[in-house]
Amino acid sequence: MDSTGPSRTAAIALAFMAVIWISPFSWLILNAFNPLSTGQLEIPRAVGLDNFALAVSGNAGRQFINSMLIAAGTATLSVIVGISAAYPLSRLRIPGRNAFLWTLVLLRMLPSAGVLVPLYFAAQRSGLLNQLGVIIALTVLNLPFTLLLLKNFFDTVPIELEEAAYVEGASLLQIVTKIVLPMSRAGIAVVWFYSFTGAWNEFLLPLIFARVQDAFPMSVGLYAAFGQQGAINYGFLTAFSIIYAAPAVGVYFLLRRNMNTGFAGVGVKG
Amino acid sequence: MSDVSLRGVRKSYGSVEVVHGVDLDIKSGEFVVFVGPSGCGKSTLLRMIAGLEPISGGDISIGGKVVNDIPSPQRGIAMVFQSYALYPHMSVYENMAFGLKLAKTPKAEVEQRVREAARILQIEDYLERMPKALSGGQRQRVAIGRAIVRNPKVFLFDEPLSNLDASLRAQTRIEIAKLHDTLDATMIYVTHDQVEAMTLADRIVVLNAGIIEQVGSPLELYRNPVNTFVAGFIASQRMNFLTVTPSGDGLLLPGNRLLTLSHAQRENARTLGVRPEHLQLASPEAAHFSGTLSVIEQFGEYALAYVELPSGDLVTVKLDGAPDLQLHQTIHIGLPAEGVHLFDEAGRALR
Repeated sequence: MDSTGPSRTAAIALAFMAVIWISPFSWLILNAFNPLSTGQLEIPRAVGLDNFALAVSGNAGRQFINSMLIAAGTATLSVIVGISAAYPLSRLRIPGRNAFLWTLVLLRMLPSAGVLVPLYFAAQRSGLLNQLGVIIALTVLNLPFTLLLLKNFFDTVPIELEEAAYVEGASLLQIVTKIVLPMSRAGIAVVWFYSFTGAWNEFLLPLIFARVQDAFPMSVGLYAAFGQQGAINYGFLTAFSIIYAAPAVGVYFLLRRNMNTGFAGVGVKG
Repeated sequence: MSDVSLRGVRKSYGSVEVVHGVDLDIKSGEFVVFVGPSGCGKSTLLRMIAGLEPISGGDISIGGKVVNDIPSPQRGIAMVFQSYALYPHMSVYENMAFGLKLAKTPKAEVEQRVREAARILQIEDYLERMPKALSGGQRQRVAIGRAIVRNPKVFLFDEPLSNLDASLRAQTRIEIAKLHDTLDATMIYVTHDQVEAMTLADRIVVLNAGIIEQVGSPLELYRNPVNTFVAGFIASQRMNFLTVTPSGDGLLLPGNRLLTLSHAQRENARTLGVRPEHLQLASPEAAHFSGTLSVIEQFGEYALAYVELPSGDLVTVKLDGAPDLQLHQTIHIGLPAEGVHLFDEAGRALR
């Protein structure tokens, strides 16, 4: 028996798998570009961007902006707070700093639904039942991993580089901004992009915190779009889904590029 | 004025003192090498001069001014690190210009000083490259260039050659010597390699366990070591040490032969030191001691013979040329009186 030749059974099985994989995506794309979409998997009789126009205007457009604000805000705040806390954790000999970090991570392992009630009341008391509240809450939840990641990245920046800069007259702020941060930019990019996607996908917190439609991000908006005005507009829904998924895909490529151009290494030998 | 002086400088970490009061005067323009085994405190001492480590006691002055509480950048020093410490995300030019830019030096002057340093070090062609695209020797030059552009009063080198391979190390050593001649700056250089110390230094400072054992020119240290530590540390082939007993008008050597010696203090001698290059082959009758050849290393221009004495001592003999000796044959060794160093019970040299 020729074991390396193509087998008919295998080909059929693979084709079957391919169809299973592709059909939801093709359904999504075919419906999104079909202005007369019915929710069936069919070749569209007309092709147009009407659904997308609908998905970026009015309420949907506002939700896109809300999502961007929450995701970019959370990512940026996580990075800023993370850097300010992780650098001293990396450089100062604080007793029990590793135990402290891992305890934070352990706390983060609790499902966020478990801390939802205290978070809600805290936000209510401080008048933060809005997007800023969501950003702060998500940042707090992000911090354990952010700290752990950034601290490990800062640990890889050799102390001799900082000493060299210090001897040359750099202040602490200059050392951090001109030496440590540029050398850790791969780590910072990872933290930023992960926080971004995490916050972009977050559903529960914005749902609880933002109680008016104007403040909904896309994740909540998508949920709400089902069954609005009695009937489901599949064309709008699919276009909305594609726009909702796009940043995650974009982040993936940005992340890959940043990881490749990251830490160049100091290289003692050579 | 760029002399450096240390007065009773101490360093302790918690209750452990690692530098026990060092006094030293380094003249302007002098090339001083700190040498010693690892953990002797030489790097700590350099880092204290650089201002990277606070000092626990004593005074450090540079150019006649006490700098104990003056931060590193204002001390007028530049440091070259063992790992080069080049900023990997900056080009060679940016690396060299970094300190000047921080000091808000006018752009034209930065340019001119970087070009000048690059010319001296012959790295003009690499200025736009990133450090990772350079070889070890080139990185070393950039690190030195970064020090030169700042035009410091004192250069501090922390084992700058230990990451280079042997041939490059010899070559860079010569370049550092030339550089010292060109710049005429005070240089303090830390190394554990006694060859670098011998070849580069105007004066060598031998450190051991946080104290200075001896300060002197390379030849002073070679000719008149003050104790067995310095005697054993300086020179490429380690000095041989033999236990001796004073007897009559000489010293009784291992193997019970007598070395007649008119040394004033021979009564106190407990250890005899002799460098491998001062020992010579002798006839059985004239020999001071004899043993079997256990290893011979041929270098072409000279050979090192390791001779095991009946007493168990291993003696190294440096022989010119390529001597025709067989392993395990008996070797007779003569001891010329002028090559002999005597040490007392505590290992101090007897003069």
